[in-house]
Amino acid sequence: MSAEMDFELATPKDASEAVALMQANPGACYIAGGTDLVANLRRGIGAPPMLIALDGIAEMQTIAEDGTHLVIGASVTLARLMAEGLPKRFAAMSALAEVAGPGLREAATIGGNLCLDTRCIFYNQSKWWRKANGYCLKLDGDTCHVAPKGKRCHAAFSGDVAPALLVLGAEVQVVGSGGARWMPLSDLYREDGLDHLTLGAGELLVAVRIPLAAAALHSGYAKSRLRKAVDFPLAGVAVALDCKDGRIADLRVAVTGTNPRPILFDHFPDAIGQEPTGAVLDAITREIGKDITPMRTTNMPGMYRRQMAGVLVKRLITRLCAGQGAKG
Amino acid sequence: MSAPVTQVGVGDRVPLVDGIEKVRGVAKYTADLAAEGALVGRILRSPYSHAELLDVDISKAEALPGVIAVITGKDAPIPYGIVPIAQNEYPLAQEKVRYRGEPIAAVAAVDEATAEAALDLIELTVRELPGYYNAAASRAADAVLLHDNKPGNIERDVHSTFGDVEVGFAEADLVAEDVFHCEEVTHAHMEPHAAIAEYDPQRDHLTFHSVTQVPYYVHLMLAQCMDMNKSRIRVIKPFVGGGFGARTETLNFELVCGILARAAKGRVRMVLTREETFLTHRGRPAADITLKLGLSKTGRITAVKAEMEQYGGAYGGYGIVTILYAGALLNALYDIPAVQYDGYRVYTNTPPCGAMRGHGTVDMRHAFDTMLNRMARQLGLDPIEVRRANLLKAPTETLNGLQVTSYGLPETLDWVEQASGWKDRKGKMPKGRGLGIGCSHFVSGAAKPVQWTGQPDAVVNLKLDFDGGITILTGAADIGQGSSTVVAQIVAEVMGLDHSRLRVISNDSALTPRDMGSYSSRVTYMVGNATLDAAEKLKARLIRAAAKALETEPENIECAGETYRVANSQDQGIPFDKVVQTALIDHGAITERGTFTVPKSFQGGKHRGGAVGSTMGFSYASQVVEVSVDEETGEITVEKVWVSHDCGYPINPLAVEGQVQGAIWMGMGQAMMEETRFHEGLPLHANFLDYSFPTIMDSPDIEVHIVESMDPNGPFGAKEASEGGLAGFLPALAEAVSEAIGCDINDMPLTPDRILDALTKQRRAEKRRKAKA
Amino acid sequence: MASIIGLTINGRKQEHLIPDAMLLVDFLRDKLGLTGTKKGCDGGECGACTVLVDGKQRLGCMTLAKSVAGKTVETIESVGPHGRLSRLQTAFHEKLGTQCGFCTPGMIMAAESLLRDNPDPDEDEIRTALSGNLCRCTGYVKIIESVQAAIAAGEVGK
Repeated sequence: MSAEMDFELATPKDASEAVALMQANPGACYIAGGTDLVANLRRGIGAPPMLIALDGIAEMQTIAEDGTHLVIGASVTLARLMAEGLPKRFAAMSALAEVAGPGLREAATIGGNLCLDTRCIFYNQSKWWRKANGYCLKLDGDTCHVAPKGKRCHAAFSGDVAPALLVLGAEVQVVGSGGARWMPLSDLYREDGLDHLTLGAGELLVAVRIPLAAAALHSGYAKSRLRKAVDFPLAGVAVALDCKDGRIADLRVAVTGTNPRPILFDHFPDAIGQEPTGAVLDAITREIGKDITPMRTTNMPGMYRRQMAGVLVKRLITRLCAGQGAKG
Repeated sequence: MSAPVTQVGVGDRVPLVDGIEKVRGVAKYTADLAAEGALVGRILRSPYSHAELLDVDISKAEALPGVIAVITGKDAPIPYGIVPIAQNEYPLAQEKVRYRGEPIAAVAAVDEATAEAALDLIELTVRELPGYYNAAASRAADAVLLHDNKPGNIERDVHSTFGDVEVGFAEADLVAEDVFHCEEVTHAHMEPHAAIAEYDPQRDHLTFHSVTQVPYYVHLMLAQCMDMNKSRIRVIKPFVGGGFGARTETLNFELVCGILARAAKGRVRMVLTREETFLTHRGRPAADITLKLGLSKTGRITAVKAEMEQYGGAYGGYGIVTILYAGALLNALYDIPAVQYDGYRVYTNTPPCGAMRGHGTVDMRHAFDTMLNRMARQLGLDPIEVRRANLLKAPTETLNGLQVTSYGLPETLDWVEQASGWKDRKGKMPKGRGLGIGCSHFVSGAAKPVQWTGQPDAVVNLKLDFDGGITILTGAADIGQGSSTVVAQIVAEVMGLDHSRLRVISNDSALTPRDMGSYSSRVTYMVGNATLDAAEKLKARLIRAAAKALETEPENIECAGETYRVANSQDQGIPFDKVVQTALIDHGAITERGTFTVPKSFQGGKHRGGAVGSTMGFSYASQVVEVSVDEETGEITVEKVWVSHDCGYPINPLAVEGQVQGAIWMGMGQAMMEETRFHEGLPLHANFLDYSFPTIMDSPDIEVHIVESMDPNGPFGAKEASEGGLAGFLPALAEAVSEAIGCDINDMPLTPDRILDALTKQRRAEKRRKAKA
Repeated sequence: MASIIGLTINGRKQEHLIPDAMLLVDFLRDKLGLTGTKKGCDGGECGACTVLVDGKQRLGCMTLAKSVAGKTVETIESVGPHGRLSRLQTAFHEKLGTQCGFCTPGMIMAAESLLRDNPDPDEDEIRTALSGNLCRCTGYVKIIESVQAAIAAGEVGK
């Protein structure tokens, strides 16, 4: 059943004010496009006394180049990035167009998509439902219904944009009370569905930067889902690679939708210098398969999602090596 | 005779008479109605699958400021249900709860937050019982009974045999038997459930607005459960955002809203969440089917034996009807000499199932036509030819006493065969591509109503007054299918008048004649015929008036829409307004009544349950589905559907196309992706992400062809158009997928994981075969 | 908490006292009586509440009303001024792009936003623009035909 929302909406004018508000108001939440948060709040998932709006912060709305990077404010919407032609410069950023539907992409921001809450069929339910089920480890309870004997939360990260940015070598800028710092995007995440972001108390993701050099890579994003729109990824795969004379010269793979975090794989010593033959692709998939552990967090079986991660990895590498994915 | 005023009669592509309101956004649905001062009604739902309800303590909730009324099962002691002899459901749970989501108590409060808080204050004391979520668990020998009077947790078992099945199988050249499973699906109409009840304690009157397809049933059940005289109740159906069968019975929240309004002595508005709308359910039950079919080597069907078990949910609803339909409508599509059917409707601790588009026929049709397609393959026959070998010849009566008076199936086969390029392409599709065929049929209204009243099956009133406008008063519930448009077209056709003179008022029990509602595709046929009757009577009356004014005999009067004149004369005639003025002299406002009653001869066989499936007109449809399948991902893409539907005669071809496309597409959803899932009785699908039905990106072109078989009894020859095509999609898809991947799959839906599982199993079997060889 | 915000709704500049936690869809429906914007789901799944914010399609049920302060909001009620139907509305009516009508306002607003950006979209572009709007009646066939008919009829928003 729907929950009545009740909160104060703060509208800071800059990032440091936002961080200060967060530190002064324990339990508050940042809200960017709201497309993830509001859906959860309406189901009574969390009841923060204050939401701190990020859409009025001008410094988080910019898109600029600094010579080596394309720097994107965290509050830039996915639709705007599409309109700015990002997928044409970095092909893996076609992931933007795979998020939800057009109406949500107009509101959803890149920072928000990177910071999406993890998802699980035992979690993304109404309060009535979760209560009837005895709650769960991720919220108000002590059992993970996905793996009741374990003590870990397996809720899956389901953002589409993160894997694309991971293979492009993106970094994120985080502002906290101690100032701002850049870190690799992969460091934003940890393998824990309960607490999958490494952001410290009050810290705010304010920007993303993509190395301009990544435009020279062949890259792409592929998504498995039941329907060709609206759905979150059952498994989503981004690949960036360099290919010389039909041989793999550099290879990065990232997978979303299967684990509590999007996982970057950038160490394939055996594949470098090889043509993408069936055996090489099998070896790559095996390597990835060691860490891809989709659990029963969706109605579609975990095994299927695992299989799809493998299929999509192979397809993307094959396509990109064949040069079908133009550079970018 | 001169031409009618404009082309708006039958056979024309007429936009919906209420379409402008819809596209402007001014159409008012229940939740859109102004309800000033209305209290917020909310329902406390069972968190338990199966439990004895020992105590429901509402004292704290009642004490909460802002709470006006709290009701429990004690305030709702009278049961309700669709089948008069099987009413075992209460608006609020009595001594037991039987599914998670079942209403236990309800609160009326000044606002949403207070209502919500009050629900949290209600304390339940229960003794939990084991929950059963499938038929096998419910039927286990040691299972606790959901309903004490239903041993084995079987709501109804049906056994019938027509013809000699054993002889039939003995005569067959090929006999096959297989087991099919179809998952439960649900309507997922776009408008969430809502109701507004306004109780006037001074007059003891209730005014009730709801999202129903059956306002009259709602009226009846409100009177029954509230122990009120029917005359003190007024039920109004505003615009309704779809139904597909979900709203063909009175739903618990409607009764709860009415009872709550009386308890609160005022107006209560109840808008259910999407999750609650899913919990209210009444969809198509999961089914296990064992089907045995005999064919001669020329493809003639010799016998069929079918067993079906439906997981019906916690209460009866339409269950008895559903399990009977599944067996009865094995007949009347093809000519079958022997039919045995055994059906079991089983109670389970899940939200009750009910009627859903293609009621009772869909899963059985999937099993039957899929078997037919496979056996044709085994016999080296074209599946279309196999169907041609088993055609009925109308008029005829089936083994189980169903009347087939018009039969356009042959023409539908011809068209899909030609349009899809079947002869040149079937069996020769490139790898990963496939074509499949399926046929299906449906009733145009149940010939025998569930509630026997002795009244006509449909009544329509036409009111004509000083303004010269004709008000069509009908109880038929337009839920988007276009029934109001059909009645307007019929009046326009008969009277030769422009739509601008017509207005349709539907569904206000204070104004419109009782109508049983929009279900079993009855409205065009029955209400259409009643409208035709009323319009002809009104026209005859106006001709008499014109004759009087023109001082001649009625048989000399020629009616040309806006002008009535003496035929074969130089007479200029008199305008319609003048005719109306004359007709009103000494009489005043005219109300002409049209009726329609199904003759007894159409009401099915004499055997128990024989009335179910009986109708005056069956629609027929054939469809060819073309798919491509990705063997690595298991993803199916439906490239194109060709469907030909025999609707007798298309009163509104535009609306027929829309209905057929909608039905085919809904079959596609069931066949490709839709299914409910539960975790210990809690729905894992109660939203539009997890109950995924196709988006615009997943939806193919559906090319519709209409066959006009001119039913002898339908209005202008018309039969139903909105349900008959649905069922055929499932077997057509299964066959197309089979051609694409070389693998037969018995279960529905064909989700990508099921496709991959089947391929894996097939590869393993192949390996084993090779290893042996 | 509530505060007064200014915004333009259906062409009129207005100021309203809006609670912090109020959704745009509830503001439009409950405070302004603009019930053409529908609520079909429990949040962000069906597109029935699609409105235009600064000309772009947005879901009213996922948008905080206060977040549109200073912006321009257009609902189905603003389409086709002076009681006339817009070309999209005419096409949805005449081509039966609407059956039960519940998804129709959102569908028309999404199509409106498409045609303002791209006056001559092909079928794939139409599908993509409407991909967040669910319909349970039509199978979408006549919805696509309606948008195509509106394009053929000429300039939109007129």
